[in-house]
Amino acid sequence: MAQSTETVPAGAAMRSAGLPVARLRELSALASRAFPIVVVAALILMVALVALRSGGTTAAAEVRNGLTIGAVYALIAVGYTMVYGIIELINFAHGDVFTLSAFYALIFSQHLGFDISGLGASGAGGFFAALIILLVLTMAAAGLTGMLIERVAYRRLRNSPRLAPLITAVGVSFIIEGFLFATQGATNVRTGKANWLLGEAVKVGGVSISWRDIFVFFSALVFMFLLQSFVRFTRLGKAMRATAQDRDAALLSGVNINRTISATFFIGSALAAAGGIIYSVKDDLIVWNLGFRFGIIAFTCAVLGGIGNLVGAGLGAFLIGLIQVFGGQLIGSAWDNAIIFAMLIIVLVFRPVGLLGLRVPDRA
Amino acid sequence: MPDAEVAHADAPDIPAVPEDVPLPATASATAREESSAVFWALVVGGLVFVVAGWLLPWFVEQTANGIGFSPQDVVSSAPTGIGTVLVYVIGAAMVVLLAGVAYDAYCTLTRRGVPFRYSRTRAAVALVGAVGTVVVCVLVVSREEPLFGSLSPLATGSPDNAVWMTLTGFTVLTFVYGLRDWVSAHGQVAFAGIVFLIGALFPLIFGQSQSFIVWGASAAAIYTLLALGLNVVVGFAGLLDLGYAAFFAIGAYTCGSLSSSVHGLHFPFWIVLFIGLAVAALFGAALGAPTLRLRGDYLAIVTLGFGEIIPDAANNNLFGATGGPEGITGIDHPSIFGFNFGIDARPYFWALLVIIAVVILLLRNIQRSRLGRAWAAIREDEIAAAATGVNPVSTKLLAFAIGASVSGFAGAFFGAELGSVTPDSFQFAVSVTVLSTVVLGGIGNNTGVVAGGILVSFIIFWMLAHLQEWLGTFGNKFGLPTLGTIDYSRWVYIVYGAILVGIMLLRPAGLLPSRARKVELQSGTESESLAAVQGRA
Repeated sequence: MAQSTETVPAGAAMRSAGLPVARLRELSALASRAFPIVVVAALILMVALVALRSGGTTAAAEVRNGLTIGAVYALIAVGYTMVYGIIELINFAHGDVFTLSAFYALIFSQHLGFDISGLGASGAGGFFAALIILLVLTMAAAGLTGMLIERVAYRRLRNSPRLAPLITAVGVSFIIEGFLFATQGATNVRTGKANWLLGEAVKVGGVSISWRDIFVFFSALVFMFLLQSFVRFTRLGKAMRATAQDRDAALLSGVNINRTISATFFIGSALAAAGGIIYSVKDDLIVWNLGFRFGIIAFTCAVLGGIGNLVGAGLGAFLIGLIQVFGGQLIGSAWDNAIIFAMLIIVLVFRPVGLLGLRVPDRA
Repeated sequence: MPDAEVAHADAPDIPAVPEDVPLPATASATAREESSAVFWALVVGGLVFVVAGWLLPWFVEQTANGIGFSPQDVVSSAPTGIGTVLVYVIGAAMVVLLAGVAYDAYCTLTRRGVPFRYSRTRAAVALVGAVGTVVVCVLVVSREEPLFGSLSPLATGSPDNAVWMTLTGFTVLTFVYGLRDWVSAHGQVAFAGIVFLIGALFPLIFGQSQSFIVWGASAAAIYTLLALGLNVVVGFAGLLDLGYAAFFAIGAYTCGSLSSSVHGLHFPFWIVLFIGLAVAALFGAALGAPTLRLRGDYLAIVTLGFGEIIPDAANNNLFGATGGPEGITGIDHPSIFGFNFGIDARPYFWALLVIIAVVILLLRNIQRSRLGRAWAAIREDEIAAAATGVNPVSTKLLAFAIGASVSGFAGAFFGAELGSVTPDSFQFAVSVTVLSTVVLGGIGNNTGVVAGGILVSFIIFWMLAHLQEWLGTFGNKFGLPTLGTIDYSRWVYIVYGAILVGIMLLRPAGLLPSRARKVELQSGTESESLAAVQGRA
């Protein structure tokens, strides 16, 4: 029965239901250990089914689509996972920071007199020069926005009831969405894209992979790698890890908690901004409430990978991307959300700590 | 109160976090604070009524939505009819009470004299004023001819919203201020009495402007009911549920399937209500059973996912039973003792009021029962509770199922009231709105939840919906016609978001915080950090 939980002291559970409980617990532990393999196996099965039904080319094309959408999810998911790791807040506004920064990028590029499509004519060199300028500006703007949000809406509530910052997060999310709705309109906005990016770079097994796909996938990897190195090797990264592990102890050892949390928000939002630009390059259509769905899915990715775990967030994002496109192929894309969330529920039931997560103490 | 005991027992091991908020030393101190919050909520509510009553005539003229004379007219044109004496009596009471307020303020500011000294006099005066007000209201409603002689051509014949609102606000103020000690001692009773009295009279007074009642019935009352149910999950048991609208949808679709021509089933409404309740409770238990051993935030995200799946499934016409995006239409309207509710919103509103009152009583009893104490124990320390013999899983499961059943009940009612259900009515926004209602009102406190339900639905469904109209009228009145030309519908999200953030920053524990929760929540402030963070990544 459901009594086989970690929260019930072993003795009590044993007494109440005897042997079956113990066996069930073993099974549950086994399921938990085997889970990553099961997920990968299920994914392979899905790929095989699609390949059988619609041909290998379709399946390979869907792998490409899944990895590129997963790259965008990954950049958003790390922001969730960092913020959750450090202050245990589901930062509902994060998905909207992603949308906001996509619009930042659009506005900056218009004001600076170039857009991504215009620079496409001058080839890769010009594109990357513009892209780097745009990335720096947008990431800085989004990072500052994230810091501002933390300062205004979350910092004062750090020692309040845990639901209070969650509600302000929802409020901030409404404010950002409302701002975009009011200033950018209710319809899709085109960002424009570089034509050369759409050209075919390589052809793998009959599937053409464009420069855009390569750009999207590898820029996400680069950002993840940079973030990982930052968190692991710099002083500030160390402070972030310390704060996440034990805020009071970190405070006692001289970590400036406020600055560390601000930095976390800055970095998380800046990565969401990178995600926003990459998404603009990828799909070129942005709309005011885009961030809501992306935010929820990205949080799912973070949970799937093991929340608080950066590599896990990336891995979870690519998995979710693949599951989304293959599930859509098999069942119908109207069920996208249902597939993702059913996946999430299964993960949490069988392996609550996520794929790469560690066992954490239960807190009611 | 068992909760007070729990809070008290927990008080000693509060850690000394530097930024900690000062804690009330004893349970009685928190009780006093809570009642004082109720007192101020009532005062603010009364003032809102008075001000709204004075402002209303300006707007009703423009909107032609129940036209009446205004209090200004009553004062300026020397009433001559039967209302004269009453108006003077009320006026005198108001003057005495205002003098009392001024005296108290003087004492408090200069620290001379004893404030609240003449409490008996004040109470007597307040009662006189209240009785006068009630009589005026009764006369306004029952008499065909104008109460105060002939005033303006606009005033003939109709019962009057403006007068009623002003007088109601005044009554509330006099009652609360005059009986300050009693209200402070019995905050929840006073609050419940006033809310239900005004609520019951509401549709009578606003008989001409249906939109008021439709608002009250389909939004405020339903949302309050939902918030009461969610409060069981979030407030009593401390489980965060972000997909509460799913159970609402389940109840509504159950009702739609069982009492419409879609499947040719026409079950009696009052049975359907309880079937909706049972089905939602089953779903709640089915979702909860595997997931309730998760940590709080994981549970939140599972419920969020569930809340996304259910409307999606309805939208995609699962098993061909939900009607897709158009939903189910033509649901039977309820009837009781041969009286059909029909499409008039008023019977629904009254029925909901009765249901809410019953639900509050039931939930209050549950909260004080063994189960309620088990919830509090689980909420505060799950391991300790388990060690003392509380079964965490079944306790949480019950909270989940009971919360879901209230939602299913509300959903079934909602379906029958609207006559149709569509997937759009159950989006994430509904869950968030209900959750913000609970948190804004005061987690774990039924009084607070009712206050939050009134406030949030007023803001969302009445204020934000009429912002354009109001500011346009306001601009025209005061020579600022540009106010009316701005398209406010674009700014509604920002306003709502800012209100959420503002209220949370000002009152993190909600408008009317629960005394037990308050102590508990502030004691749990030390960060219980996650071990598996970046270090391993």
